[in-house]
Amino acid sequence: MAPQVQATSIDGEPQVYEEKNVHAIYDEIAPHFSSTRYKPWPIIAAFISSLPIGWIGLDSGTGNGKYLPLPFDRPGAICTIGLDRSRNLLNIAKNAGNTGKIRDVVLGDILGRGWRVAAFDYAISIATIHHLATHERRKTAVKRLIEAVSPNHGRVLIYVWAIEQDALSKRTIPVDGATGTRGQDVVVPWVLSRQDKGSQASTEPQVLNRYYHMFAKGELSGLVQDAASELGLQLGPPLGLGEAPISISRGVEMVQDGWERSNYYVELRCWELP
Amino acid sequence: MVRLITHNLLACHVKGCNTNNFPLQFKDVQIELREAEFNPDFLKGFMPKLEWKALVDAARQLGDTTLPLEQPEMLDDEFLKNLHHVLLEIHVEEGVMTCSNCKHEYPVSNGIPNMLLAEHEIG
Repeated sequence: MAPQVQATSIDGEPQVYEEKNVHAIYDEIAPHFSSTRYKPWPIIAAFISSLPIGWIGLDSGTGNGKYLPLPFDRPGAICTIGLDRSRNLLNIAKNAGNTGKIRDVVLGDILGRGWRVAAFDYAISIATIHHLATHERRKTAVKRLIEAVSPNHGRVLIYVWAIEQDALSKRTIPVDGATGTRGQDVVVPWVLSRQDKGSQASTEPQVLNRYYHMFAKGELSGLVQDAASELGLQLGPPLGLGEAPISISRGVEMVQDGWERSNYYVELRCWELP
Repeated sequence: MVRLITHNLLACHVKGCNTNNFPLQFKDVQIELREAEFNPDFLKGFMPKLEWKALVDAARQLGDTTLPLEQPEMLDDEFLKNLHHVLLEIHVEEGVMTCSNCKHEYPVSNGIPNMLLAEHEIG
């Protein structure tokens, strides 16, 4: 029987837990993982296609860099820089698209701030924030994305795994009785077959459990609300001059908040009063 | 990959290092030149976001002196081609980027800059 998704709980320091149960595993499974992740998802591709020429962006948790070559119909119109904690995945991401073109990638943490403030026009974080082991760290990750983009026109797209899985998904998610809107911590097995490990491997396939926080309905938009509030941003559509209280000069609007193929996503737009 | 388009965004983020933490200074670099497709519309759209002095200084550290100290008003083809080369065709493969303020060193290895900090260095 194939290994199943299992409920889990975090023990010890979250960053130590993530190092062992997320980062080390991605470094180990990088080539195999990458070979299964090649198709861009439609909403993400549409978001990237809508960006104006000359924009520069951050892909925070780029993995194998599959979004770095986009948009395919206007190559070179924008520049997306890939950030990840896995050096082995970045070595793959550098050549994303297999066009012979080298992509810009940076080894770093999504909770870091190795950029000048608001350096980017857009930021995406796809299937990454759900690997952070506490609510506080996930909220900080959303804050870092908003801080990375222009307060005037910055756009952000975030995808995370949902408890509510697609009917076609092979996974069933164990939900313990009292989760409510707080999501569910699980480990998801990755089976490295003998072929992947070369000839010296044992006959048993190796199973590596990756940590995920599966998001509940409303949890991602709740993180955005908290992040915006902590950054002193109005949450909602742009206010006109005179409409806004004196204390409000900047804000962030959630222009999409949805579920697609076992994931929750939000799209944000920053605005600033003149 | 550290091209100058990326370098122009990177800043030191060691705890408490908030001033003079940009741009990072190159040291002991090995560079490779790789041709990239010239896209003048991308460059024109991107130019307003550049920190111009940081770009010119970094280019000079890498031995390229084709860019003027001030952004020109007139964006002629010769200028745009020089800008294209500096931003997109010079790849720093190995070396170190040092913060002018706190002297923290960020290594570049196999074309990948390492911006990770130890837990106690994070702000």
